[in-house]
Amino acid sequence: MTADALALNNTLVYDYLKRFVQEELHTSGFTEACIALSGGLDSALVLKLAVDALGADHVHAIFLPCRASSDESRRDAHTMFEFCGVPWQELDISGMADAYLALQPGIDRLRTGNLLARLRMAVIFDQSKKENALVIGTSNKSELLVGYSTWYGDMACALMPIGDLYKTQVRSLARHIGLPQQVIAKAPSADLWAGQTDEGEIGLSYETLDQILYLLVDQRCSSAEVNSEGFELDLVHRVELKILTSQFKRVPPPIAKLSQRTVGIDFLYPRDWRK
Amino acid sequence: MTYTVALAQVNPACGDLEYNVKMHVAQVEQALEAGADLIVFPELSLTGYTLKDQTLDVMRPADCPEFACLRELSRHIAICAGFVEEGANSIPYNSAFFMDAGEVRHVHRKMYLPTHGMFEELKFFGRGGELSVFDTRFGRTGIVICRDLFHPLEVSTMAALGVELLLAPSAMPARGFGGEQLAIEQTVGLALGSASTFLGMFVVYVNRVGFDDGLGFYGGSALSDPVGGITISAPLFEAVQVLGTVDTAHIARHRYQLPIRREEDLEIVRHALETRRNS
Repeated sequence: MTADALALNNTLVYDYLKRFVQEELHTSGFTEACIALSGGLDSALVLKLAVDALGADHVHAIFLPCRASSDESRRDAHTMFEFCGVPWQELDISGMADAYLALQPGIDRLRTGNLLARLRMAVIFDQSKKENALVIGTSNKSELLVGYSTWYGDMACALMPIGDLYKTQVRSLARHIGLPQQVIAKAPSADLWAGQTDEGEIGLSYETLDQILYLLVDQRCSSAEVNSEGFELDLVHRVELKILTSQFKRVPPPIAKLSQRTVGIDFLYPRDWRK
Repeated sequence: MTYTVALAQVNPACGDLEYNVKMHVAQVEQALEAGADLIVFPELSLTGYTLKDQTLDVMRPADCPEFACLRELSRHIAICAGFVEEGANSIPYNSAFFMDAGEVRHVHRKMYLPTHGMFEELKFFGRGGELSVFDTRFGRTGIVICRDLFHPLEVSTMAALGVELLLAPSAMPARGFGGEQLAIEQTVGLALGSASTFLGMFVVYVNRVGFDDGLGFYGGSALSDPVGGITISAPLFEAVQVLGTVDTAHIARHRYQLPIRREEDLEIVRHALETRRNS
């Protein structure tokens, strides 16, 4: 298998996603969108998409650094604000984090990372109330499938326009629409500590991960079939395990059914429900 | 005979009957002004597609008071539109009506209700059990709703029963963004080409646009002509009304040139089925 199987008609995809953002927002009765910008590629693409869909005047972007954030993130976030013509907004969450961290001596990196992601979530949702806006999420399909994201943290949003695009497809689309090269070329990172990279954390490159995910998920191949496409069986099993163990993040919590009609089970209405 | 058909590639509001009826009236008036003789709307155009439990709230018989304005307008133009039909048995069906001369002339109940992957139609709708073949002022007409179009046996049978004009209201979600065309567009193109090329029918395929809970319907409505192929093709994703011309002379001309209908022998099919059943 080659990476060509993941190639997309980016012109068509971008047009479609713009319409998705416009319609999902307007159907919900909103004209404004809020986006937390990290300086990374996913939020950069979503910002540009939202601005093209709604107009810069209707997009409220905010950079939410903490003490661990790199100078590079600030620089790239700044570049994207300028590139999209939206005013710079910044709110440092270090003070909020410190207040809690002081009460938790010995807290590890993972818990700290999750805490920071959830503080950003709390801020962006508060900002969205202030602006009467919906929060647009920036999760991509690769991280949703392997669970490389914080439940009720960066996953929390009203809509996910790039949630069905693998990371390598996000890169390709970003190149297609001409995002600044420095944002496209940088190593993906959750930026929770110095030198952290997604690929270091996940343990393989997005090129490899995306091809394995594509075969397992989109093509419904067995692990043996993926192996026969040239991917080590151990690696394939590791990816399968990541998908399995993160399933809870991708579904609403189960509700114990008691009545004739239960929310989430047989009280069935579309998200875009309007009477 | 030539006549003009309007393909109303609209974006219905899910569950909002009142809004959708008004939108239909505006579309019909636009088609009338343009001189159309027939207007075709997408699947479930009067209710929206992803209804889930709203199905119960929006189901109506075709002769309900809410649709009276459309019946009235059908004195001037024939109308095919999609709705949730409340059957006499109180079962909801995914149906399309054909109104003409102020009356409901026919109602087709979707036969093949996709229930797999992203689709869950059998969870909410009863299944239609009859092919729709009926005579109109446009000739022998048939209706297939969305997935019905992908069943060549049924479409072939309708052709064998004399259908010359096939109306195909649809709600096909976009998927397969890898190529020049969407993968689903190519699949539909095969079905349209097959019906027109091999069965000598005109097909009016009207697909909706807009999003229901992340499902984006792609539009791309088309008029498929036995002689000319796809003569009218609406853009992707945009709510538009496009007009096409049907020249019924093309049917005879095509069937003379490629006489598949003339060659057709349903006895072979009948014999094969009976042999199989008895073996």
